[in-house]
Amino acid sequence: MPILDLGYRNWNGDRSSELLRWTVVATTGISLVWRGTWLKRFMLFATFPALVTMFGVGLFEQAARDDTYRKMFNGFLASRIEPMGPRNRMRSRVANRPQIISETTDIATQRHLAWSHMLLWYFRYPQALWIVVVIGLVAPRLISYDLRSRGYLLYLSRPLSPTSYVFGKACILFFLLAMITTFPAIAVYLFGLLLSNDPSAFLQTWDIPFRILLATVVLVLPTSAIALAFSSLTQESRFAAFAWFAVWIVGWVTYLVLTGSAMFNAEDAIQLQKRWLMISPYHVLGQLQEEIFGVLPADQHLAGPWILCAAVSIVGFGIARWRVARMLKV
Amino acid sequence: MSNVIEITDLTKRYAGNFALKKVELVVPVGVTGLLGPNGSGKSTFIKAMLGLVKVDTGSGCVLGRTWPAQVKSIRDRIGYLPEDDCYILGLQGIESVQMMARLSGLPTTEALRRAHEVLDFCDVGQERYRNVETYSTGMRQKLKFAQALVHDPQLIILDEPTTGLDPTQREEFLDRIHALAIRFEKSVLLSTHILHDVQQVCDQVIILVRGEVRLADSLENMQRPLQAGIQVRVVRDAIRFADSLRRRGLGVQCENDTELLVQGDASLIRKTVWASSKEEQVLVERMDAARNSLEHSFMEIVSEKNYAHP
Repeated sequence: MPILDLGYRNWNGDRSSELLRWTVVATTGISLVWRGTWLKRFMLFATFPALVTMFGVGLFEQAARDDTYRKMFNGFLASRIEPMGPRNRMRSRVANRPQIISETTDIATQRHLAWSHMLLWYFRYPQALWIVVVIGLVAPRLISYDLRSRGYLLYLSRPLSPTSYVFGKACILFFLLAMITTFPAIAVYLFGLLLSNDPSAFLQTWDIPFRILLATVVLVLPTSAIALAFSSLTQESRFAAFAWFAVWIVGWVTYLVLTGSAMFNAEDAIQLQKRWLMISPYHVLGQLQEEIFGVLPADQHLAGPWILCAAVSIVGFGIARWRVARMLKV
Repeated sequence: MSNVIEITDLTKRYAGNFALKKVELVVPVGVTGLLGPNGSGKSTFIKAMLGLVKVDTGSGCVLGRTWPAQVKSIRDRIGYLPEDDCYILGLQGIESVQMMARLSGLPTTEALRRAHEVLDFCDVGQERYRNVETYSTGMRQKLKFAQALVHDPQLIILDEPTTGLDPTQREEFLDRIHALAIRFEKSVLLSTHILHDVQQVCDQVIILVRGEVRLADSLENMQRPLQAGIQVRVVRDAIRFADSLRRRGLGVQCENDTELLVQGDASLIRKTVWASSKEEQVLVERMDAARNSLEHSFMEIVSEKNYAHP
């Protein structure tokens, strides 16, 4: 029994705007998924690569002041760029990027390129993996649980459209992914500015935060769309999780098999990689990130990945919305 | 506002079959029972009111707002208890009610305060801190009721609300509906199969059959008997008692071993009934003015005795 039972009382307060009700879906979802112990662990581990990137940026700034660090930085950068594959190795050779700050190089002109490389590595390698893991852990149950327990009826009987419902669910993923990509990357950038001890560093690199935001959008939109579409297509979250990981693994392995035969011939590799790029979500996103961070040579620009990215986002969110709206039919 | 719902020409088809056929309906303020056999279109009607299903034709006014154009604003003023067993997995009862309040626009802290108040009103104790998936059916019904009330709606739509409740809980539930209607002037649309619930709390009754409104009238009118009389309930020996009354010149219909209907002007025949009861040593348990049975009226309307098949 309650200590003080006031019984039913009327309520006449001000209500929030109908346009903002999706925030309730998002905040409730975030608080729910945040209860998972494994997610918290993964999110913690996912911040570690940012420390490596910070170290790289710090090393660059140290090298800018002290020649003895130049060799160390070049080695560090080369070891980051090396895993980017034959195409990148060749590109790097053409652009002389591993030797990014030689004895005669002007640091000011190289700062933007060096930071961009460090951030591209951060987005492209460790965080791409964490994104796949975190979405695989969280997204499959976002809509499928509501379909199973018919929770969508509770949401949609309030002033909330299927579109705002799906948007609210997507915002849960946007938030988590921003936590492991955008915020640490911005922190790395600010760290670089602080360490540079040079006011002109901001003028040289002012566009990097925008590139980080764009890279996040490009990463987050299609991945969230695919994950939510899978989640909406089944009431069993494990099927959605299986489909999610299958898309990445099958795409990646197939791409490697199809392009691996020309591994040691850089020119052939570029042609093959262009031809089969679209079958691997990981490599499509990698191509886009290289473009966004400005490390892709002008002749390597492709429209296909951008179109694919937009199409996947639209179709993915469209499927999720359609499924939710369809469930309302009696 | 005398009517909470005024709808004209509401039609909804599923794959060519009419779920609702040119429904013209007025739901007045008060408690209204929405009756009908399975598949009669009750749930479709409710979901149409909430804008959850797209209708083929139809227009009107719900709570003074244009329907269906202002359906989101209408939803803010309606509390809906769905028939389906629905909940958000992983949330505690209190969080679940708070979330529904926030979805209706209440600030976070206010939503939590209201959630506690309404759960107290619905007699949900410390179970409110348990995850909703661990709740029994009865608890879930109470939780859904709290969710429907938390934003203080003007109109409460309850779809089969007493399903899964034990008799005591059901009576308490109906008392709450009654209190909301009488003390807080809430309008309630109660969709149910349980005629006893309708009889106990409703002022008006709407009967839907095959997507058409077959009857919309007050409960009082529906229960008004064709012939004046008294409904008598005795402890036993109703047949012997009926014979005794017949010998005294009264028209009597014996309904079972404890209930009988005595025809005639109540003020005139009451004394005769008491006299006969004393003489036959039959204990009268209850005496009411004769009423038509809702069940009888419902069966008559549903079996289409008086309605031509469309």
